[in-house]
Amino acid sequence: MLKNLFTTCLLFIAHLMYAQGTSDVPQDFMRSIGKIYVVVGVILLIFLGLVFYLWRLDRRLTKLEDQNH
Amino acid sequence: MDKLIRKSWWKYIGVLLLVYVFVAGMLIPLKPNVPIVNYQSANLGKSLELELVGYNTQFTQQADDTRSWLCFPDSLKPHIAASEIEIIDDRIAKLRFELPASMPTDASFVNLSLIVDGAFDGVYIRPDAVRLENKEEQSSSNANWDYGKITGLNETSRMTFPARRIIEETIRNTYFHVALWLAMVILFAAAVVYAIRYLRFQKRAENGEMLPEINGLDVRQRADLWSMALTEAGLLLGVLGLITGFLWAKYTWGSYWSGDIKQYTTMIALLIYSAYFILRVSFSEPEQRGRISAAYNIFAFVLLIPLIYILPRLSGNSLHPGNAGNPAFGSQDLDGTMRMVFYPAVLGWTLLACWMASLRFRISHMETQIEQNWENDQLQQPSQPKSEIIS
Repeated sequence: MLKNLFTTCLLFIAHLMYAQGTSDVPQDFMRSIGKIYVVVGVILLIFLGLVFYLWRLDRRLTKLEDQNH
Repeated sequence: MDKLIRKSWWKYIGVLLLVYVFVAGMLIPLKPNVPIVNYQSANLGKSLELELVGYNTQFTQQADDTRSWLCFPDSLKPHIAASEIEIIDDRIAKLRFELPASMPTDASFVNLSLIVDGAFDGVYIRPDAVRLENKEEQSSSNANWDYGKITGLNETSRMTFPARRIIEETIRNTYFHVALWLAMVILFAAAVVYAIRYLRFQKRAENGEMLPEINGLDVRQRADLWSMALTEAGLLLGVLGLITGFLWAKYTWGSYWSGDIKQYTTMIALLIYSAYFILRVSFSEPEQRGRISAAYNIFAFVLLIPLIYILPRLSGNSLHPGNAGNPAFGSQDLDGTMRMVFYPAVLGWTLLACWMASLRFRISHMETQIEQNWENDQLQQPSQPKSEIIS
């Protein structure tokens, strides 16, 4: 019962907030300038992934060199 | 493949394609659009003033020939044209509409779409711009709804990517997230080709025939290593695709993990592929390891396709585009300009991943060779202790 009441209250608040409008105005850094920083973040993640792979190849080559000597 | 591996030209092509993708994919602007309209609800028979804040718009370039309408959704009919348009600067414009006194439908309210058209920016439409209440009021307005077709709309002459609400600039992730998945499927498919190649030579190897050799390893050993190297590079792309998907989902769907069918099935597919590597390290005997991992690789690929392409479409309920029956690359999602970047992106990521796979292959090739030489030495000098050979 209390849960339902709480949910209803929340819904009502959300409705009020919508009535104030401009709900799609960017609020934080990641959402500024048309969310361009999400794209930057994605590119950064891919870069880190490639570096991780490079690092693993490096370890493997080191081991190979040690074996060969 | 064996000659190509030492050649540089395809590596250059891959890198150049990716440079093109990064430059074009980041520099081509989004289509001009109007994300912000300051007014939310309006009444019949009143004069309505709207302030627009545009994105990538250049209102001053089209100060004389800007036109605007408020339309009923879907069919864009009936509509009413703006009576007055005041351009403040490139991004801000003020519109005035004289609303008719009567409503053509019985609905209690209608969310009108706003259309702005100009020679420089082209036409753009902003759905749900104004909420019009259906309340008849006394008014002197003599404006009427226009049931005619809006004609003479312009197309922008600039090169642009489509502007979508919520997605906005992240539409560029098509080249970094979607392209990764396609490249992953291509790599996994190549790995299956090598797995089949391994199994095809099975019989001849069992009969004790001499198999063709290159650089000291026979055709089966090489196929096994290629299969492994391509799967590893493919898995890296897949994991990156999933992680970048988390970030993209956070800012479009609201959370990193939404429990979406597409997220679950791709996660399962990647776990199946991770098991391939666990399988490989758990067999010490090369013959056994090669045979079982080749069979498992084929099995994983056969599961991958339904998991990432068919099941999400059948489910009928997914946040991810391209699922629940609609094609992933409809003309709405991927226009001509995006295709010019997207296809090079797929090819570029594939070539880069093949480069990584070829490095991995060469390292494993050397490891296997060293191991073989060591075993041969062991056979010739069985009395020599192991530690001395290593040192």
